[in-house]
Amino acid sequence: MSDIALQTHGLGVRYGTFDALSDVNLSVRCNSVHSIIGPNGAGKTTMFHALTGTVAASSGRIELEGRDVTRASDDDRVRLGIARSFQVTSLFPELSLRENLRLAAQGRTPWQALIPWRRAEASKSVLDMADAVIERLSLGHVATRAAGELSHGQQRRLEVGMAIAARPRVILLDEPTSGMGIDDIEGMKTLIRDLGRDHTVLFIEHNMGIVMNISDTITVMRLGRTLVEGPPAEVRDNPEVKAAYLGNMITGDIA
Amino acid sequence: MHILDTAKVQICLALATVLLLPFVLNSGILATEILIYAMVVAACNLLLGYTGLLSFGQGIFFGLGTYVAGVLTTRWAVPIPLVLLVAVVLGGLVATAVGWFSIRRQGVYFVMLTLAFAQMFYFLAYTFSDITGGDNGLLGVPRPQIMGHVLDGPWGYYSFVAIFFLVIFAVLLVVTRSTFGRTLLAIRENEGRAAAIGFPVRLFKIEAFAISGAITALGGALHALLIGIAPLESINYHTSEMILVMTIIGGSTSLFGSVMGAGFYLLLSDTLSVIWPRWLLLLGLVLVTVALFFQRGLWGLVERGWDAFAERRKGPQKEAGDV
Amino acid sequence: MIYLFQILNGIGLGMLYFLLAAGLSIIFGLLQFVNFAHGAFYLLGAYLTYDLVERGVSFWIALPVATLIVAIVAGAIEALLLHRIYKLPHTFHILVTVGIALVFQELAIIIWGPIGGSVPTPDGLGGVVMLGNFVYPQYRLFTIAVTAVLAGGLWWLLEGTRVGAIVRAGSESASNMALLGYNTMRINTAVFAFGAGLAGLAGALAAPIRGVEPFMGAEALSVAFVVVVIGGMGSYTGALAAGLMIGIIQSLMTTIWPQGAQLFIYIAMAAVIAIRPRGLLGRV
Repeated sequence: MSDIALQTHGLGVRYGTFDALSDVNLSVRCNSVHSIIGPNGAGKTTMFHALTGTVAASSGRIELEGRDVTRASDDDRVRLGIARSFQVTSLFPELSLRENLRLAAQGRTPWQALIPWRRAEASKSVLDMADAVIERLSLGHVATRAAGELSHGQQRRLEVGMAIAARPRVILLDEPTSGMGIDDIEGMKTLIRDLGRDHTVLFIEHNMGIVMNISDTITVMRLGRTLVEGPPAEVRDNPEVKAAYLGNMITGDIA
Repeated sequence: MHILDTAKVQICLALATVLLLPFVLNSGILATEILIYAMVVAACNLLLGYTGLLSFGQGIFFGLGTYVAGVLTTRWAVPIPLVLLVAVVLGGLVATAVGWFSIRRQGVYFVMLTLAFAQMFYFLAYTFSDITGGDNGLLGVPRPQIMGHVLDGPWGYYSFVAIFFLVIFAVLLVVTRSTFGRTLLAIRENEGRAAAIGFPVRLFKIEAFAISGAITALGGALHALLIGIAPLESINYHTSEMILVMTIIGGSTSLFGSVMGAGFYLLLSDTLSVIWPRWLLLLGLVLVTVALFFQRGLWGLVERGWDAFAERRKGPQKEAGDV
Repeated sequence: MIYLFQILNGIGLGMLYFLLAAGLSIIFGLLQFVNFAHGAFYLLGAYLTYDLVERGVSFWIALPVATLIVAIVAGAIEALLLHRIYKLPHTFHILVTVGIALVFQELAIIIWGPIGGSVPTPDGLGGVVMLGNFVYPQYRLFTIAVTAVLAGGLWWLLEGTRVGAIVRAGSESASNMALLGYNTMRINTAVFAFGAGLAGLAGALAAPIRGVEPFMGAEALSVAFVVVVIGGMGSYTGALAAGLMIGIIQSLMTTIWPQGAQLFIYIAMAAVIAIRPRGLLGRV
């Protein structure tokens, strides 16, 4: 079991009388890139919300490296090692790019930040982390610029960087390429693939090219349930998936 | 950050204010009042400008401070340093409680709640008149002594308050520039994201409230020592309103803006109220004007003026370089 | 029996609070505008009634005239000034309306003096109603009746008519409204005037009960806030329930512990917020 980073058992989320998610059994292996696909309304984002603690699970269990985190609060889960990016860019627009990342890195040890006389520069590890992420995102040339002034592609990269800066065990990325131009998408693809080497990445994506190309495992969701889970080739050739709704959407090559 | 908003420039401006006021103003009482409100308004700014919390309840803590000073000095003759300490601690505690309740709601509802709490504490003070003196307030609050010498002259007490003002101003500079202060800015910018990256947002807001309340109560106590009474007006709706108005007029993007806001309001009130008792009508018009044309407040004007000045100085130098 | 008397009083008071809060909610709901001048419109309604009655005008004419004047004044302020600041952050809504409230308060002192005054119980309602051996002033029953009819009418207006549909659609998105061909500017002005008119009416109705004084506006504003916070914003029934609850608590406390009557309004609020942060019937 030790190679499983994140696992759910019969996870369900209910909004009133509507089952947004039911009986989801997901298992994400360590150091893998695991993607979740499915049509709108399949429950992908709801699952992210449940995994990060934004919404409470109505049933089932969530385990992070074998530890039950079902009842942990959202900020506790960040400390335990789950970080996420958002589908709609959500940054601190008036603060600099570097400050955005510094905050994200500090979020791992938030109690330090409650000391009202502690200087921000006092946490060297936090600063180093922010700089390392800037390096990784290759955004050094705009590090002092306000996040709100960056280009869309840069903001999307920063959005992913915010998740990386928390030094998570598992990174959840919600449609990291949404609204990106072709050039930017290629960079993002490389970034996610590289992240899979030293982290565990779980991501929601509509771009099948990327999904087929860099995923180790794909989970297909539909109507709040998992339909199929397996490696790209298997998912692509699965008749049920093909018949159900993906049709000829799967066109990406498998590297 | 604007070049004038660096800690060094800010503390120099505060120091200059303390040194210049005695030369500019004839009334030591007015000058002292400006310094007291300046720290109270800066504490309100910690909430408004840095955390994005518009508190209509700062009068609670101010009034609390005046009553602490009034009760402790007139009933039990508690020494002044201890009185001020009690005011700070009690202010922080009550602010923690008010903050805990109020931040349960966000945005406009938060503002409404703080205003309602301000009313609640007013009626508390009004109802328990055997402690607070009710409508009459508590009379005969003494001035502090230093080495057996009572600071009953206007400028002697001014110096006493000036030290507190400078210390508090420096404390607020440190707080706003600490990782705590920078996290507050993040919460102001995007609360949801601040929570998502792991910050327990409510705790940060409550701490900001506690610091703000402690400083405001200290200001209230110093004010009671200044005017010699702890009046019921200190804790009413209009005190809260006045502190907030000073904060917005001064401009919520810098701490020294708050000093300017307090100074502007008190000088305006001092000048106009002599000429026309209904001067608040004019203040009402000033508020509308500020909202329409000077949204960054007086500090915004200073920044703009500085930028224009720097531009002009840079301009000719460049031309000279070309020649 | 005294309690029954106070509960009836409380219902009358509570219905006035409800009118105030409903006006505040409607303005905020449609315009996303924080109106700290709401208490000033209440004050204006009360003072205009006082003034007209002093001049010998019958209360029955003064009541609608005062309400109408408040609505017109509020509409003019909206059209000339407020619509310019809707897009600014709430801080500036508050700053401007606090400014307006100060102007009204000072004007009231300039025109009518700092003392205030009382308004005699209107002709025809000076007597009492006898229910068995229970005696109750007619005017207070009248306010309960009027506000109850108004509450019903308001509910019908918002839920059952095209105007209500427009108002509710507008609160979702002003640009949708523009697409549908409605003049949103004019609707905004009308809604603001209407909401302020409700405050003016509450003031006019309250004048014979509580008299007039220059600082009644601030007090009314904070009570309206309490009702909105307790009831849950955007909840019509919540505002009604909260208004009645506050009115009844205040009236009962007047008998039990007179000095603490006002205080208990706020203690009730704190208790509700501690248990149900969203208010009694708040949806969001």
